[in-house]
Amino acid sequence: MKKLVFHTVILAVCCAAATPAFAQEAAKQEAKETICFESRKGASEITKHEIKPGLPNVKCSPTTGATLWYGDPYDGTVPMGKMPLLDGIPEGKAVVRPRSEKLNLLGMCATACHNGVVPPGFPKHKKPVPIPTMESLLPEVKNLQHGRGRIWCLDCHHSTKRNMLVDHFGDPVSFDQPQLLCGKCHGDKLRDWRDGIHGKRIGEFVSTGKKRWFVCTECHNPHDVQDGARNKGFVQIAPESPPQLPNGMKDAKHESVHGIAH
Amino acid sequence: MSPKENPSADSVKDKPSQCQTQLASADPSAPGITTSRRSFLKAGGALSMSSLMGAAALMGQSGDVEAAIEWAEHFQKNYRLMTPEEKAEARARLERRYSAEYDKKVSVDGTESQPGVLMGYALNIRKCIGCRRCVKACVEENNQSRGSKPGQRIEWIQVLRMERGEFSQDKMDHGYPEGLGIQVGGNAYTPAGQVLEGQYFYEPEAVPEKDATYMPIACMQCEKPPCVKVCPVRTTFREGDGVVVIDYNWCIGCKMCMNACPYWARRFNLTTPVLPKEEMNPVTHYMGNRPRMRGVVEKCHWCLQRTRHSRYPACVEVCPVGARKFGNLLDPESEVSLILARKNVFRLKAEYNTFPKFFYFYD
Ligand code: HEC
Ligand code: HEC
Ligand code: HEC
Repeated sequence: MKKLVFHTVILAVCCAAATPAFAQEAAKQEAKETICFESRKGASEITKHEIKPGLPNVKCSPTTGATLWYGDPYDGTVPMGKMPLLDGIPEGKAVVRPRSEKLNLLGMCATACHNGVVPPGFPKHKKPVPIPTMESLLPEVKNLQHGRGRIWCLDCHHSTKRNMLVDHFGDPVSFDQPQLLCGKCHGDKLRDWRDGIHGKRIGEFVSTGKKRWFVCTECHNPHDVQDGARNKGFVQIAPESPPQLPNGMKDAKHESVHGIAH
Repeated sequence: MSPKENPSADSVKDKPSQCQTQLASADPSAPGITTSRRSFLKAGGALSMSSLMGAAALMGQSGDVEAAIEWAEHFQKNYRLMTPEEKAEARARLERRYSAEYDKKVSVDGTESQPGVLMGYALNIRKCIGCRRCVKACVEENNQSRGSKPGQRIEWIQVLRMERGEFSQDKMDHGYPEGLGIQVGGNAYTPAGQVLEGQYFYEPEAVPEKDATYMPIACMQCEKPPCVKVCPVRTTFREGDGVVVIDYNWCIGCKMCMNACPYWARRFNLTTPVLPKEEMNPVTHYMGNRPRMRGVVEKCHWCLQRTRHSRYPACVEVCPVGARKFGNLLDPESEVSLILARKNVFRLKAEYNTFPKFFYFYD
């Protein structure tokens, strides 16, 4: 008992000495880095910063870390590039956030392993084969959850230019324009996306306005589109807090009681 | 914002205590509502002597600018009946008051509706995952009250969670009468398909849940709005671009519109709104998100302060699944027009002939 107290005291003293430094460090860190995600947690993060005094580029949810408000909808964007049927849009009115900035392995892909040549022992067909090196780098490709076994890496990735995706002609497509890739198999979705019905656009709603377009991979993980138990659909995220309970009500149990008595 | 931080907001409204009236309330625990500003004008048909004296005394005492602003606000006309000069003056007055109150440059925009624009909204009911980001984005944008005491937290969008229900072998004979029930659409006691007995306070770890669907509801901006019909002081009305707005300064807090609305879209400021200075959005519109006072009704106005300047509403921008769509119904190329042309669309409670411009769709 006595020993315990003694230890606690030591601990307390140490902590007291240590915490101010820690706290300061942490506060500094926090002050500069508030990060929130848009649609894909872990793959669509935005760092909060001020565009002008008092006006942040985004506001983040303190409870879920989700993006809650855009001060500048065009923050960190680049022109979308050429898209069939969207070429009527004036220069600079259609912008996207480049995906390539989010892909940690991309730099490595093009240089370290696949430097523009077909590596020795590379299969002659496009069928599924185990790829231990890739699986260790990116576990999600081990049991590829896209296409129910009917599509594989090279249906999407260029065989020699590994920092590129691939279209139906075998021509390279930028990672920043995944719509050109996805559209080759999901034509109906591409059409809706082009018309602003599928996916999302932010900025000015008028037809002639400047918009940031969300590209397919900002919402879908191409290696995992069949989400677990739901088997399809959007990956689960934490919801924001519920509304205030009516005055005097302790909880919302009344809502879950459904049975109609008879 | 506590009364201490915000001395000006209610000082005049609450001062002439002679003319405080208790409003009838369905909730016995609800505190009485002070309607001094309105009764100020109403008592005895015109100005009551006592209220005049009260206000005069007040001005004499402090003699400050704030009080003068309040005084002018009291006697301002219904916004729609003002001349352009009077409107500009009213807005400038508010800008001065808000800027002082919230310690920053607050703008009160008055941009009117543009010809050739009829705003419309579409929501993909199949995509909604019930994450409530739209609800919170709306609060960030529109300066709603965000306190913790009863009645202090106001949200305009409600997300209804509905259980899918089930058809199952073992319930086949659990219908009515007992033992004979046929399970068509579930049965009377365990409905299958969507049940409209929804839940608002759901709080799972993660959404979407496997056995639920979600339906966000807010103001439908009806073409024939019942709320507008019932307003006794005509402070809520339909604008040229289709949005139903409220002149908060003219609202008497009678809540008739709240009863008339079939979509539960309107909220009442039961208490003095709690809006911390640092969270206040300084870009406001007179008919839109400018700070409200106690005793007035508010609701969604499709972010007029943004949409009148072509920007998407805040809820559209944050929806992580892209379920929310907004645009000009008169432009055949807009996303809402294309949805109406191509998708399966329905309006909520269409049988009431309210003709909402908010459409639900699925693909
Ligand atoms: C349906 C098309 C598709 C298939 C099939 C596919 N990928 Fe991808 N892959 C993509 C896209 C698109 C990206 C970019 C993802 C993004 O922007 O978030 C990507 C990204 C990657 C990356 C970079 C990830 C990072 O975080 O830097 C690697 C590595 C990768 N894929 C490997 C593979 C391997 C190995 C396979 C086969 C097992 C495969 N992919 C199958 C479309 C596909
Ligand atoms: C080579 C063809 C091909 C390409 C390229 C491709 N997909 Fe797929 N995708 C498929 C197939 C096949 C399925 C499986 C449909 C099924 O049987 O359930 C599928 C399924 C999906 C699903 C799930 C559909 C559902 O109803 O569950 C999504 C989401 C999806 N793909 C998104 C994408 C995105 C985003 C891209 C671009 C990064 C992409 N796809 C590129 C072929 C493709
Ligand atoms: C703003 C986010 C977002 C963007 C951007 C987006 N999607 Fe989707 N997509 C979704 C959601 C949410 C679903 C519905 C998932 C479900 O079934 O519950 C979906 C569903 C799908 C499906 C499954 C079919 C269906 O109707 O369920 C396909 C295929 C698909 N998307 C392809 C694409 C392609 C191709 C692109 C790019 C051109 C794209 N998506 C861009 C959010 C997005």
